[in-house]
Amino acid sequence: MAEEAKKLIQFKNIVKSFEDGQVVLKGVSLDIYENEFVTLLGPSGCGKTTLLRILGGFLQPTEGKVLFDGEDIVNVPPYKREINTVFQKYALFPHMNVYDNIAFGLTIKKEPKDVIEQKVMRMLRLVNLEDYARRNVTEMSGGQQQRIAIARALVNEPSVLLLDEPLGALDLKLRKEMQHELKSIQQEVGITFIFVTHDQEEALTMSDKIVVMNAGEIQQIGTPTEIYRRPVNEFVANFIGETNIIDGVMLEDDLVVFEDKKFPCSARGFERGEKVDVVIRPEHLDIVPRGQGMLKGVVKSQLFKGMHYDTIVETRAGTSITVKMQVSQDKPVTGGGEKISASGFLLDVEDAAELNDGRIIALASAEAWDAETEEPISIKTVEHDIKPETGEYSVTFATAAGTSITVRAMVVTENRAESTVYQEEIYAMNFFKKVEDIQESMALDTDLKMWANASAWSLEDENEQVEITDVKYDFDPETITPGVYDVTFATEGYEYKVSTTRAAEEGAEVGLIFRPEDLHVMKRGGRR
Amino acid sequence: MKQFRSMTYPYVLWIAAMIVLPMLLIVLYAFTESGNDVLTFRFTLENFARFVTDSVFLAVLWRSLYIALITTVICVLLGYPIAYVIAQLGERANTIMILLITMPTWVNMLVRTYAWMGILQDEGVLNTFLGFFGVGPVPMIHTSFAVILGMVYNFIPFMILQIHTSLDKMDKNLLNAAADLGADKAHAFLRVTLPLSLPGVISGITLVFLPAVSSFFIPKLLGGGQYVLVGNVIESQFLTSGDWNFGSAISMIMAVIIMISMYFTRKADVSVASGGKE
Repeated sequence: MAEEAKKLIQFKNIVKSFEDGQVVLKGVSLDIYENEFVTLLGPSGCGKTTLLRILGGFLQPTEGKVLFDGEDIVNVPPYKREINTVFQKYALFPHMNVYDNIAFGLTIKKEPKDVIEQKVMRMLRLVNLEDYARRNVTEMSGGQQQRIAIARALVNEPSVLLLDEPLGALDLKLRKEMQHELKSIQQEVGITFIFVTHDQEEALTMSDKIVVMNAGEIQQIGTPTEIYRRPVNEFVANFIGETNIIDGVMLEDDLVVFEDKKFPCSARGFERGEKVDVVIRPEHLDIVPRGQGMLKGVVKSQLFKGMHYDTIVETRAGTSITVKMQVSQDKPVTGGGEKISASGFLLDVEDAAELNDGRIIALASAEAWDAETEEPISIKTVEHDIKPETGEYSVTFATAAGTSITVRAMVVTENRAESTVYQEEIYAMNFFKKVEDIQESMALDTDLKMWANASAWSLEDENEQVEITDVKYDFDPETITPGVYDVTFATEGYEYKVSTTRAAEEGAEVGLIFRPEDLHVMKRGGRR
Repeated sequence: MKQFRSMTYPYVLWIAAMIVLPMLLIVLYAFTESGNDVLTFRFTLENFARFVTDSVFLAVLWRSLYIALITTVICVLLGYPIAYVIAQLGERANTIMILLITMPTWVNMLVRTYAWMGILQDEGVLNTFLGFFGVGPVPMIHTSFAVILGMVYNFIPFMILQIHTSLDKMDKNLLNAAADLGADKAHAFLRVTLPLSLPGVISGITLVFLPAVSSFFIPKLLGGGQYVLVGNVIESQFLTSGDWNFGSAISMIMAVIIMISMYFTRKADVSVASGGKE
């Protein structure tokens, strides 16, 4: 239909920046045809409402043109535009009844009383509120107010109706009803509706055309089916519905590799060996016995949703690394009116070769002081058997008076693990901690990551951080005692969201299948 | 809420002692002859009859209502544009302007009225200034002009604040909606802003008219005794003539008049504000 219809509104390279320097629209160009139901869809702050307000005449664009029927309307005030708006919170006039609210535009135009009455009553019938003409608008429910706002705008017979998140204030059930009602009103009056929402389901239900926006830019323009089945990038794929996005490589036209397996698909126009994102919607995956699966994995969780199960299947565990955590009580030793304290430490093999007493004292934060005056006392002797080999050694510090403390030192090599298959590397260090540090930690997983200096990155691009999602340990932080503990850090494995009617037990080994035409390949977008 | 009911007893007692009892005493005085002792009351309507049959007192009553009315009208006509302009300003300027408007009320009203005496006198600031141009001295003090000026000056902040509040809390989107529906600025003001600010205007009227009609020191100081208003008559009955019974009767007559006018403004308020609530 878009081909024959004429362009009604053209946004030409619209830029909008506010006084505080914030750029809300970064050069938006968009054509809107006659009789279209167009939805501007995006997260809050994406600029969709700003674009609508520019069209309504309530905001001036910083740059760019808005053509209406071929004429630039940027300098036309709102009251002269053939456009009407349904505002976010309806903005009904509280001092007028339903009838007067709807008649407002017509009385401003000084239409004859009988004409006004006819038109208003027709609108009231259209929105199913004939019996409410004399009611006070403030006594009406949210859904009714919403319909009055629509009637108040439509009665002026605009060529475009703008709707700014009009269903946002309604409850779920009413919202569904109004979605259908709006769509049928649009079909009945046959004018262009421009609808702003952040609700992807609403957009998919109602629109002829969806404009997906993010951060002041248009991401994709298309029909609901196009947007859902063939998103152009990771943002659109994630924003519209649940989705699985997998790293893949194009082998040749219609053949993609992911998880080390080749899969036929329908995708052309990519270079050989180009890295791509592969999209599979959860409802296009199904669970089968392991032997029959195109991918094999383990069920991590399953939630019953009435019509189906939301299942998560992990096809491989993430890259992991295990480090040792030395937990000490670290109390100062008292003797002969003196106190001495030191803590265990770690050092690298290379550093172990060139040690001196001063450096060891610094590493162990060793210090001694007078028990009463707290005057510092110098540490006279440092005894140790550290060799430049990995292992555990002991170090003893003593004062001239003979008060001494012994701590452990560990010589380690750099601790990293890499997974060439998944092109990831993970790094973490052994570390020392005091009992009270662990007991007092508010967010132990995060603290453990920090103490171990754990991080993971992609081998393809060292600047690309991979999130460590899993921290495992087998102690109870509340009751931990001094000793050595294993802590394992791991990146996220490949997990697939599967929407299936088949029940599967947690931990079951299963296979996954999908049809080649349900694979959608898109250019690799920047990962967040 | 029931468990808190006993906490209201002190307030009920306070209200009884400080408001109801004095009111009852006024009523008692108004309906009795002077010279009562604690136990014997001689009831009479003489005090009321004296007021309504004496043309001098009726003229005073009429003048009080007239001056209060003029004051109120001037306050609305001057106060509305001021409140409107302030409401259009940015948030900071708005706050500063409201602060400036309320600032004079931090100084005692009596002091400010004395200051006006200095300005309006024959040898005062204004006439000295006019003298430079060979005009005057124009008699200003002790005229009805001076009395009304003093009242407008003292009471207009209440009007501005009331109107400003109602303009300020109005949903700005309503004006967008009006523009969207084809209303230019003038239409949007007349059809949306003005009707929605009327409750503010009406409470402003109440806040100006009531003190204006019963004010006694402004006419005394700026009217110089020539502009005797009801407030002055009552004051003199209590302080000069010592006729508390007659003073109480006049007070009661004024209270009834005020109650009637309050009733009508309330009614007007309800009719415009219907739907003004959420």
